[in-house]
Amino acid sequence: MIVLGSTSEVAQAFVEKALQEGEKFERIYLFTSSRETTERFARHIDVKFLQQSEVIEIDLMKEIDYNKFDHVSSNVLFCAAGYLGDGTEEGLYDNRNTEKIININYSKLVPVMNFFAQKFESRRSGTIIGLSSVAGDRGRQSNFIYGSAKAAFTAYLSGLRNYLFDKKVHVLTVKPGFMATKMTEGLPLNPKLTATPKQAADCIYKAFKKQKNVAYVLPVWGIIMMIIRNIPEFIFKKLKL
Amino acid sequence: MKPNFTQKVTNWGNFPVVEKEMRSEDSFKKIKEFVLSHNEVIARGNGRCYGDASLGETIFSTKKLNKFISFDRLNGIIECESGVLLSDVLEISVPQGYFLYVTPGTKFISVGGAIASEVHGKNHHAEGCFSEYVTEFKLMTEDGNIIICSREENSDKFWATIGGMGLTGIILTVKFKLKNIQSAYIRQESIKAENLDEIFRLFEESENWTYTVAWIDCLQKGKNLGRSILMRGEHAFQHELPQNLAKQPLRLKKKLQPTVPFYFPGFVLNALTVKIFNLLYYKKQTKKEVKSFIDYETFFYPLDAITDWNKIYGKSGFIQYQMVIPKEAGKEGMKQILETIAASGNGSFLAVLKLFGKNNPEAYNSFPFEGYTLALDFKVNSKLKKLVDKLDDIVQQFGGRIYLTKDSMSRSSLTNYLKNIQSSKFVSLQHKRIINNNS
Ligand SMILES: Cc1cc2nc3c(=O)[nH]c(=O)nc-3n(C[C@H](O)[C@H](O)[C@H](O)COP(=O)(O)OP(=O)(O)OC[C@H]3O[C@@H](n4cnc5c(N)ncnc54)[C@H](O)[C@@H]3O)c2cc1C
Repeated sequence: MIVLGSTSEVAQAFVEKALQEGEKFERIYLFTSSRETTERFARHIDVKFLQQSEVIEIDLMKEIDYNKFDHVSSNVLFCAAGYLGDGTEEGLYDNRNTEKIININYSKLVPVMNFFAQKFESRRSGTIIGLSSVAGDRGRQSNFIYGSAKAAFTAYLSGLRNYLFDKKVHVLTVKPGFMATKMTEGLPLNPKLTATPKQAADCIYKAFKKQKNVAYVLPVWGIIMMIIRNIPEFIFKKLKL
Repeated sequence: MKPNFTQKVTNWGNFPVVEKEMRSEDSFKKIKEFVLSHNEVIARGNGRCYGDASLGETIFSTKKLNKFISFDRLNGIIECESGVLLSDVLEISVPQGYFLYVTPGTKFISVGGAIASEVHGKNHHAEGCFSEYVTEFKLMTEDGNIIICSREENSDKFWATIGGMGLTGIILTVKFKLKNIQSAYIRQESIKAENLDEIFRLFEESENWTYTVAWIDCLQKGKNLGRSILMRGEHAFQHELPQNLAKQPLRLKKKLQPTVPFYFPGFVLNALTVKIFNLLYYKKQTKKEVKSFIDYETFFYPLDAITDWNKIYGKSGFIQYQMVIPKEAGKEGMKQILETIAASGNGSFLAVLKLFGKNNPEAYNSFPFEGYTLALDFKVNSKLKKLVDKLDDIVQQFGGRIYLTKDSMSRSSLTNYLKNIQSSKFVSLQHKRIINNNS
């Protein structure tokens, strides 16, 4: 398995879930911007599952040397790379914030995804799982920079799914709603709408096994977003969402 | 949305509830920053202590310190971060033929919490407390430095931290030994006792068993006072097991996990329901003595089978009252305690009696000493404080003391027994309550 964004608690929970369910990987490639945290995880899965892994540093804000991961190949790619940044209301006119959000969630991420997608295409098998967000379903005043990058990422995944379909590669788009993770610690989230990384991992694993195309982590988000998508624009623009 | 780390926090008894800042970090560097930037900090594991021990002005949750570091499968030595739960340890150790030397009645506690409370199990008389099997741990002290503590290195901090209730610092990682087992099953005998005399006799007769514990029906009076069931057990050898279990002796079948979905309304638990529960529990076993093989989960963690069972006590919460009374005086003390409870009508749903063995004098902050210990759950209501007062009187009179990890309202003369823990940085609500109230 190849994991982009290995410090993500959801990614780690997914890896554990897959190993618990008895999935076998020759090696797990853990891409990360934080070696220390990821090495802890690598040791953890070695102790717990006798699973070999390799930690590979990657910084989506910098030039990427693809030679460093030429040897990386697997039949599952899990992409949880992402960056929430400051919400629009406080971070809109901060260009560094905006760039970082767009780079990490989309513009710098997609070429890396493509690099691996090509390997999947030539193997003619495998699954690519991308963590997008419900925020990408419709731009809202509170975080549309992040939302727009995720919307682009969602569109990319859907196109990729379409493109890879007859090449026997499956693409799964996951849209978690609120999640209780480092990213959201301390934010006032409604517990009924908030999934733990473990819940998310269970759900993603199920969707992976069933070859779903799009999965909301908590089903209620599917309904909420259907409503939000369908509010007519002349009303939507007046709402404080 | 700016993060606001203040939140409602409460431990297993849902009493007390506080609104305080709670944070969790996973890198030691960030933990250091956190410790240095706050005046008062207390570590919190999985909040399975019942009262206010892991609550404070700012709470450091070890939830994110949840990784394993190493497992020497040959010698059964495991190292992990302090937030790893005993359940996580068992998940990997049991299939490899290893079990915890000491485990409390729930596996949902953290390894850090096990040291800070110096937990005991059903084998205290035979195998002591958790720390006996801890070889070393890393501790973050007030200045944010990390020290290695063992019997040889920083041994003063090692012993102060064991049973030190988080008041010496934050335990970051722990290395400890596991015991060999041949199966995941326990050979159990359960024996009914008609009254206190009989149960005390059974305990003494069972001295050679590794695990012993008794459930008491606390509403009985007179000649039935102390009516109970003693359970004693040993890890089963593979060759002893019935055929159907012997094939895969280290694997358990997955069970369904019922959940208590919401807080039960207050009226559900009253003297009558408790009486019925205890009666059923006692009557379920019709024979005087039953021998069986049961899986370790059922034997050690019967309550874990129901997720969130603490909600049964309703929103006002409950306390657990656990005391130890020295052995010589123990029988008389227990008798008076049970009489007081029966007379109060404030029945306890759950009452567990055990005989502690000798304590390790080096682990001076450890709660257990040789004697009888009784743990009782009481729903919080207006009459409870009075009952606790009366029970405290008896415990005091017989030279006993109260288990800090379950305390939230006992008098401080029974709980103020920790040594070498003074720190202006690591402070819990419990400790403040105890030192401010020298009754
Ligand atoms: C159903 C049930 C049955 C139980 N049975 C038993 C039993 O049989 N025997 C027994 O001994 N106990 C028993 N307990 C109590 C339980 O074992 C202890 O309270 C244990 O310490 C809880 O661990 P925790 O991880 O939840 O820690 P918490 O409850 O969060 O904290 C407990 C104490 O440990 C400290 N602490 C936690 N983590 C750290 C750390 N990393 N560094 C420093 N200090 C820390 C806290 O400050 C606090 O003082 C039982 C509890 C329940 C709910």
